[in-house]
Amino acid sequence: MNRIAFIQALEKIVGKKYVVQDKAALMLYEADGCIMETHAPDVVIMPTSTEEVAAAIKLAREYDVPVTARGSGTGLSGGSTPVFGGLVITTTRMNRVLELDTRNNRVRVQPGVINFELSQYLMTHGYHFAADPSSQKACSIGGNIAMNSGGPHCVKYGVTGSHVLGLKLVLEDGSIMWTGDGTPDGIGYDLTGVNVGAAGGFGFVSETWLRIMRMPESVRVVLALFPEIRGAAEAVSEVIASGFLPTAMEMMDKWVIKAVNKSYNLGIPDAAKAALIIEVDGVDEGLDKLLAEIVSICEKRGALEIRPAKTPEEQINAWAARKNAFGAMGRVARSYYLVDTVVPRTKLPDVLEQVQRISEKYDLPVANVFHAGDGNLHPLVLYDRTRGDEDERAHKIATEVMELCVSVGGVISGEHGVALEKKNYMPALFNDDDLGAMAALHECFNASKMFNPGKTFPDSCPPGALVARRRRILGDKAGADAVHIGRAAALANGGPARHGHHDQQQALDRVVKQGAWV
Amino acid sequence: MTTLTPKTPAELAEIVQHAHETNAVIVLQGGGTHQSIGNPIAANGREIITINMRGLNRVIEYEPNDMVIGVEAGMTFAELDAIVRPNGQMLPLDVPLPERCTIGGALAVAADGPRRLGYGTLRDLILGAQVVEASGRISKAGGMTVKNVSGYDMMKLYHGSYGTLSIITSANFKLLPRPRAAATLRMGFESLAAAFKLVDALQASQFTPAAVELICDAKHNGVSLTTQIEVAVLTDGLPDAVARHERDIPALAKGLGSTTLTVLHGNQHDTFWAYVADLNQVADLQPDKLALKLACLPSQLGDALALAQKLAAQHALTLTLNARAINGVAYLRARGANANLQAFHTALLAQHPRLVVMGAPEALRGKLAIWGNDVRGRDIMQRIKHEFDPQGLLNPGRFVV
Ligand SMILES: Cc1cc2nc3c(=O)[nH]c(=O)nc-3n(C[C@H](O)[C@H](O)[C@H](O)COP(=O)(O)OP(=O)(O)OC[C@H]3O[C@@H](n4cnc5c(N)ncnc54)[C@H](O)[C@@H]3O)c2cc1C
Ligand SMILES: Cc1cc2nc3c(=O)[nH]c(=O)nc-3n(C[C@H](O)[C@H](O)[C@H](O)COP(=O)(O)OP(=O)(O)OC[C@H]3O[C@@H](n4cnc5c(N)ncnc54)[C@H](O)[C@@H]3O)c2cc1C
Repeated sequence: MNRIAFIQALEKIVGKKYVVQDKAALMLYEADGCIMETHAPDVVIMPTSTEEVAAAIKLAREYDVPVTARGSGTGLSGGSTPVFGGLVITTTRMNRVLELDTRNNRVRVQPGVINFELSQYLMTHGYHFAADPSSQKACSIGGNIAMNSGGPHCVKYGVTGSHVLGLKLVLEDGSIMWTGDGTPDGIGYDLTGVNVGAAGGFGFVSETWLRIMRMPESVRVVLALFPEIRGAAEAVSEVIASGFLPTAMEMMDKWVIKAVNKSYNLGIPDAAKAALIIEVDGVDEGLDKLLAEIVSICEKRGALEIRPAKTPEEQINAWAARKNAFGAMGRVARSYYLVDTVVPRTKLPDVLEQVQRISEKYDLPVANVFHAGDGNLHPLVLYDRTRGDEDERAHKIATEVMELCVSVGGVISGEHGVALEKKNYMPALFNDDDLGAMAALHECFNASKMFNPGKTFPDSCPPGALVARRRRILGDKAGADAVHIGRAAALANGGPARHGHHDQQQALDRVVKQGAWV
Repeated sequence: MTTLTPKTPAELAEIVQHAHETNAVIVLQGGGTHQSIGNPIAANGREIITINMRGLNRVIEYEPNDMVIGVEAGMTFAELDAIVRPNGQMLPLDVPLPERCTIGGALAVAADGPRRLGYGTLRDLILGAQVVEASGRISKAGGMTVKNVSGYDMMKLYHGSYGTLSIITSANFKLLPRPRAAATLRMGFESLAAAFKLVDALQASQFTPAAVELICDAKHNGVSLTTQIEVAVLTDGLPDAVARHERDIPALAKGLGSTTLTVLHGNQHDTFWAYVADLNQVADLQPDKLALKLACLPSQLGDALALAQKLAAQHALTLTLNARAINGVAYLRARGANANLQAFHTALLAQHPRLVVMGAPEALRGKLAIWGNDVRGRDIMQRIKHEFDPQGLLNPGRFVV
């Protein structure tokens, strides 16, 4: 591409000040929280409006430059890593709440609004946005949408996808469309739904209507401490099987307890090797009884101690341990590798034991802090990537954990996404026909392959190749020959150089330094 | 025209492959109760193969303690309920005619039910799906876990696609515990405006009703629409919470002008909500009735229904309706002379473009804009249809693209 002309044109669109082209500055955009592969973009822009984004995307199309959207860069699967360089559009300056409409349970925001800031804003009106990733103090709504993020409270309220009402999309030709505005039951295919979780591979989200919910009248939280993780896992399985519907059910194991105990003075006794945080909500009546029943299950499963939290202050304190867990782990290990998988909830006790065995086999500690109520595991491999073959062993653990989860009916990602990190694991779940259907959908939005190329699909079968194969099967020979193969396929043999390490610590440090965790 | 009833996904795939090779048209039939709706199939002289999905009605996987189930698409809601109910579980969608309505049919039309307020629709409950594509190939997406972001969410694409992209052969769902207690609170009002005062108050409150249905239906209360209107609230969950709703909501309603109160429990409660779910069924629609679905922002619903009433009166039609009042969805049934029905539809459509014709007198078919006037992103939808079914094998002509 004619870099100079391209950059000059971008400067006309967003202003010189908001175009980043300095080599050192571009390094900041070479990865998200997953830095197993890093690629610096050629240029970054910080637009403020849909119109600026659309103009930039039109231009990028003209110059045949790949475009990757970036929110806060807290992603853990390489979603915002520009694998083929090109243009990164960050939403840092698209950070306004545009319209609150409580009568219709909706709010219109720009994609760069921080999840936590939206929550704070809504709380003053008595509402909340249900998806609350643990990274909420740093991550953006655009990132939440692209990754279909979850959070502790999704057991009851569902993940991001259930709370997105409409998207203003900038498409590959630079055109702009709204997929919905909160009017229910759109007519035609669900273009909002398919864009959630597409890792920014279908279009750029420049605005969105989100569903908001009334704050519950009452909330109860308990922290239940267990002498071993099996009992805690069994308690989770039993609570779910008994038909209680907790709002949240989060697990921390001995490593995590140790870390948070030290850092936050929580005074959890040494005998506690696992902790569950359980929350219920609703109208006030009945909550105490419900909680008592859940507590009795915990006791039956051997809980050592139950710490109820009734006042908001006590509740914030109970949650502090969980919300600070990742940050605190940084004090225990130099590096960690978080493996996000899901298993059926009855399998939790066994799977956790096997994860422990895998950890012993490779002689690296694995900590567990996760969304237990959904069966969403987050084994955290603790290692030091500067030491011997620890990096390699950490990866082997991750691979075996994923294989284990798939073998018991689980999946390779519950909330962090496939994007770059797990794309080559996709064949563990999906064959070429399954991937072909996904590629067909991708083709309808991103035929040029300009949006976030090199994600979601395995290197062995990039979307262009899958679509061509599929069209041939459908008897559309001419169509098959017309598929734009895209960079990923063109570079399939060899691919871009890989460097960097699979180390989320740096990214985490970045986020923590921004004051994300208190 | 041939009708085939495949017993396995492989048999179905074979039929589709054959149709694909011979350029036939495939029409899907779930419960087969709504085949006259939508645009007529545009077969253009091609052979039509009707596939009856009821042969595919097995449970694929059910581990009660995981609270998930995988079933074939031809299973009816009643069959599914009979399987999960003994374990104290439910798939919380009340479709019309659950004895006949199939899982695949409900997914294909994005059916809703009164409890969508508290439990959402299948869009929120589906975890995975297997389909036979227009090529005859089988593909799947999603999985069996309650949380999953492995790959694109193809379930969202199939949900509401009216059988035009691929044939759903099976689907996995999240189940929920059956509530321990439940009650119905039926409150009568003398005007729509008064009824909507309660709806608005409930919407802004911290109460947690699972359904708030506004009903104006002659069959139900024997009184014409303009004098008798009812708001029915379904409260369920913990016994103490239900008791709280039973105590506070009627009091609130009274203050806002409700004139009658009926409280139902047990069998009466169940029967009532089965009746509400069936109100908007169109399987046995009288031949002189026009059945419409109107969707709008919740804040616009009161005015929309008032307008519908006014137009019905102007055109000498009787109008009955039920609405998911807090969601902004209403089902209208108008009865009268054809020309008047058409004029009524035209006038309402002009104000409310998201208006779908769910059933109409024979003579009016082809004269009404079946899918309303509010399709957003039609060219992308056309691209999707073409990418998934370039030959136009599946329900051609029936849907918006
Ligand atoms: C400590 C820690 C805890 C975490 N906890 C959770 C958790 O509990 N649950 C969970 O689900 N995740 C969690 N995450 C992962 C991460 O925070 C989420 O994936 C988050 O939604 C990413 O948001 P972001 O703004 O940082 O997006 P980024 O990382 O910048 O981008 C993520 C993806 O979104 C795309 N994107 C961003 N903006 C747009 C846009 N406007 N239009 C189109 N595409 C766009 C990017 O291209 C990329 O593919 C955690 C991460 C960390 C570091
Ligand atoms: C045009 C139309 C609009 C409707 N809108 C609503 C609504 O908004 N809300 C509501 O509650 N009810 C609606 N209904 C009623 C709805 O049809 C019934 O609630 C029920 O879903 C029908 O189930 P069935 O098994 O009888 O399906 P059928 O009446 O046999 O089929 C309904 C549609 O689903 C398709 N289909 C059936 N099985 C499959 C399958 N396995 N894979 C793919 N496609 C399949 C058919 O081709 C057909 O287009 C609508 C019906 C129609 C036809």
